[in-house]
Amino acid sequence: MKPLEKIAGRAWVFGDNINTDQIIQGQYLTLLDYKKMAEHTLEIPRPEFVDRVQEGDIIVAGDNFGSGSSREEAPQVIKEVGIRAIIAESFARIFYRNTFNIGIPAIQIPSICDYVDDGDRVVIDIELGRVTIPSKQKTFETPPLPEVVREILFTGGAVEWFRKRTDRSC
Amino acid sequence: MGKTIAEKILGAHTKQGEASAGETIEASVDLLMVHEVLGSRIIPILDEMCVEEVWDPNRILVVNDHWAPAADIDSAEIHRRNRDFVRKHGIKHFCDVDCGICHQVLPEMGLVKPGDLVIGSDSHSTTYGAFNAFSTGLAATDSAIIIATGRCWFKVPYTIKITVEGTIPEWTMSKDLILKIISDLGSSYATYQSMEFHGSTIDRMSVGSRMTISNMTVEMGAKCSPMLVNNHVEAWMKERAPHIEWKPIIPDSDAEYVEEIEYDLVSDVLEPIVALPHSPENGRPIDEVDEIEVDQCFIGSCTNGRLEDLAIAAKLLKGKKIASNTRLIVTPASRETYLQALKAGYVEIFLEAGGIVTNSTCGACVGGHLGVLGKGEIAISSTNRNFRGRMGHLESEIYLASPATVAASAIKGKITDPRRI
Repeated sequence: MKPLEKIAGRAWVFGDNINTDQIIQGQYLTLLDYKKMAEHTLEIPRPEFVDRVQEGDIIVAGDNFGSGSSREEAPQVIKEVGIRAIIAESFARIFYRNTFNIGIPAIQIPSICDYVDDGDRVVIDIELGRVTIPSKQKTFETPPLPEVVREILFTGGAVEWFRKRTDRSC
Repeated sequence: MGKTIAEKILGAHTKQGEASAGETIEASVDLLMVHEVLGSRIIPILDEMCVEEVWDPNRILVVNDHWAPAADIDSAEIHRRNRDFVRKHGIKHFCDVDCGICHQVLPEMGLVKPGDLVIGSDSHSTTYGAFNAFSTGLAATDSAIIIATGRCWFKVPYTIKITVEGTIPEWTMSKDLILKIISDLGSSYATYQSMEFHGSTIDRMSVGSRMTISNMTVEMGAKCSPMLVNNHVEAWMKERAPHIEWKPIIPDSDAEYVEEIEYDLVSDVLEPIVALPHSPENGRPIDEVDEIEVDQCFIGSCTNGRLEDLAIAAKLLKGKKIASNTRLIVTPASRETYLQALKAGYVEIFLEAGGIVTNSTCGACVGGHLGVLGKGEIAISSTNRNFRGRMGHLESEIYLASPATVAASAIKGKITDPRRI
């Protein structure tokens, strides 16, 4: 298991109940190319997001992020545009699972939105479960992840995890 | 300490034979349902995972329903991949574009029984709780792992017990009850939890009405929503799966619930509920909702496209015309439902009233085809989600309601209480 490096990036702050249709609308789901689909990432709540997001940025959101559909395309397009971690006050169940499955950490911190503004630098140490907002001099400690979730994340996602676990190669 | 239905069913699917809320376990799945996401996402993941064989071709159901029949070249390609996959792996249960919506056809085919662990690549897979099963939605990667191994890891959920007593009054429906529960509890109230339904109201309910409730518990974040077996479910199993043995899963009397919530429809009479844009949690009694003019009235989906839904709409629409400012689109939940509606004369009633009856598909509900909303348009819909942009343009608006309320609204061209028709 290779520990993830520290993640540090600019925050994009979203409100409560950002559902999967806000992340990627149903009309784009038949697109087979994630690059094309990702041009519409989060375009309903923040139309400027796709043009301004940079590799290594972090999403910070309120309650119930990713509610709605099971569509794995939602975390996939977020990954595609360069987001490296999502912190939310709470996550919807399937989205939470999907995010780890594609190798992106989903970190739950109640009241995080009270401490982060758009553009703030956020530093995440997955190994220690620690999130720091240097400009606000605020540090959060998060509870350890379930073992299986930790394994999946630290292997780089569920595809790699599955191949290793079942000793497959092709 | 006793066990809830969720703990009993998950436990019975583990090697150790037992599971308790809060644990993370690995369980064997009885059936996996996948739809277009097989062709678009799962097959590429299986290739990446170096999976060449499926775990059990008899325990997988493939459905082409979301864009059925193909709405464009991309969906045609996805359907083609699904057909190839079914042929290549000898998948026993396949519903092509002529068949219907996954959550309707799976029970129609007798593929869920009490006590089963059913996974679907679709969030509304909670629907099969109506059959006393543990069923939930997962997405592409987890579905790929199940296709390969028949197993998956789960966090055993804690359970909220919901008891409903009393009757559902005329022209109100189980949809009104679940919209009321969602508006009371909120859209993340049950995240990661099982909602176990009890009480005389649920016990008397038809299979279809129960499916509507289990279907929409995911709008509160629920992982699953098992109900106790009733005589309608018994009759359904006898008809649909006569040679399959099953026994009901009953929670222990000392099962541990994180919360117990009671609804007494005797003292608090249920009214038609309308959920305002843009969340299913925005339910209001119809008396408190303005008589807003609607551009589209939609009856269909895995939530409310079943025969009883079409029957109540037909009862309201018989001999009437829909208002000239609106359009009515009816999408039966399956081909079987369509045929039954045709034989019962409902299709003729809808057409005579000025409505459109489409083939069975998820089309309009997901903003895919056969009823997409344009800029600024307002719809009243019997579907499950009214998120911004869900059914089309991001400046369109969706009001969720029962099929009765949608039919009444079609007649008047504005949001209308079905009790007043």
